[in-house]
Amino acid sequence: MSSALLEVTDLEAGYGPINVLHKLSLRVDRGEIVAMIGANGAGKTTTLMCLSGVVRARAGKIAFEGRDLVADRVPAHDIVKLGLAQSPEGRKIFSRLTVLENLEMGAFTRSDKDGVKADIEKAFVMFPILRERQHQAGGLLSGGQQQMLAIARALMARPKLLLLDEPSLGLAPQIVVQIFDVIKELNKAGVSVLLVEQNARMALKVAHRGYVLETGRITFTDKADVLLNDPRIRAAYLGE
Amino acid sequence: MLELFAQSETAQFGQFLLLGLVLGSLYALIALGYTMVYGIIELINFAHGDLFMLGSFLALQLSAWWLRYVVGDANSAGAVIGLLFVMLLVTPLACAALNVATDRVIYKPLRSSPKLTVIVSAIGVSFIFMNVGLFWMGATPVKFPDLIPDTNLTPDTGVVVTWKDVMVIGVTIPAMIALTLFVKFTSLGKAMRATAQNPTAAQLMGINVDRVIAVTFAIGGALAGVASVVYGLYIKAVEYQMGFQNGLYAFTAAVLGGIGNIPGAVLGGLVIGVVGELGKAYVGAKWSEALIFGILILVLLFRPTGLLGARIREKV
Repeated sequence: MSSALLEVTDLEAGYGPINVLHKLSLRVDRGEIVAMIGANGAGKTTTLMCLSGVVRARAGKIAFEGRDLVADRVPAHDIVKLGLAQSPEGRKIFSRLTVLENLEMGAFTRSDKDGVKADIEKAFVMFPILRERQHQAGGLLSGGQQQMLAIARALMARPKLLLLDEPSLGLAPQIVVQIFDVIKELNKAGVSVLLVEQNARMALKVAHRGYVLETGRITFTDKADVLLNDPRIRAAYLGE
Repeated sequence: MLELFAQSETAQFGQFLLLGLVLGSLYALIALGYTMVYGIIELINFAHGDLFMLGSFLALQLSAWWLRYVVGDANSAGAVIGLLFVMLLVTPLACAALNVATDRVIYKPLRSSPKLTVIVSAIGVSFIFMNVGLFWMGATPVKFPDLIPDTNLTPDTGVVVTWKDVMVIGVTIPAMIALTLFVKFTSLGKAMRATAQNPTAAQLMGINVDRVIAVTFAIGGALAGVASVVYGLYIKAVEYQMGFQNGLYAFTAAVLGGIGNIPGAVLGGLVIGVVGELGKAYVGAKWSEALIFGILILVLLFRPTGLLGARIREKV
């Protein structure tokens, strides 16, 4: 029994006649933060959508806690129940549901009412602004607040693995720092994280390991600090 | 009818207003089916009006069977109440089942096709339903049994309110309240709203979107079924083309109120019912449709999202 929580092997996926992912393989161990960096259109979001079952894998294996989600054709709505939740790119907040209702939606697959209540309280402690705004429509929040809500909402499923797609996108630097602090804290509390980012420096600073994705293929992988110091990565992704 | 001539002007106005509200609440029930389905999968289900027509045919068929096989005497109160109960139970269930089946067999395989493909197939379904209706009851209007007495319940006011009016209000209002409570407070209702706002995010929450869509078609169909029974009892005649005109009014009501918006569909239905009837009475019957659609165009010019349409934009 390996310590891998998620083990992706030779994953292929795409839209219509176009294949976006080519034999992509990656691994997330229990307790890890793994960053996936890459340019626009490299296939980062497709990878995460594939893991969540929203985009169908065409070939390959997605083993989550040893169970192959591709071979078992596990539908998107059951994947959340297994412990794999996502905070998607662009937040995708339910704009006309209240903040509280958004959080409740995150716990849709759960039936332990008291546990859900306790987790909503935890979310409010983590992001106090959400408590203040709990009865407002999600669409009225600022970008940073929506990002906090998206993360809190994904956590409501009590995931073992949290997929984060571009949590820093469009946010003020101060808010970005705050969001990444939360990611570190969550990880300390036992949540494994697969983090997709264009902000490669921030991502590699919090991550244990990293993957570089280029046009649907993994081109580099190593410990995060090694990648941070690799001259090729520095040139291509860190703007040096 | 004689009473009408004796009415004062205010009483006459009240009478037209009542008729408008009654018809309006029927449009509203049908409009809910359009607006809910549109809200979830952005499909204008053109077959919805014809589903309503088939519902009223089924109710008519049920009453024929009831009189032939269950009770011989149509005049006993027990027989009538029993029949009403059966019609109001069986027809909505059948319409719900037919609506879900249509989605399953025809719209669902087209879910990722261009929107226009699905809309054209909905028009096709509309014609199929209409032809089924034509084969079933023929081309001429058929009398619907007059089960509810026309007794004037308010003889002193000058406005004639009958048991039929009471029945329409007594059925449509609770149906709408139940729907509102369901959508607002139940977990499935919230899942419906969430799916309408962002289907991808709904999937990421673990919501079974296919199931939510099926439930939406079921509820829309059931409401059309309720409307079809109430319509038959009120108008006392049904025919295979009734789905087209009533469906068009209901669809207009949905757009007027803000397509995808549940209270909007109710408001839109009432506005169209009242404007139509008052227009017939005070402007002339031939102008009533022009008036309705004139108001629709005016509202959409100044409020393109309809009277109660969404005002919150998605933030990106």
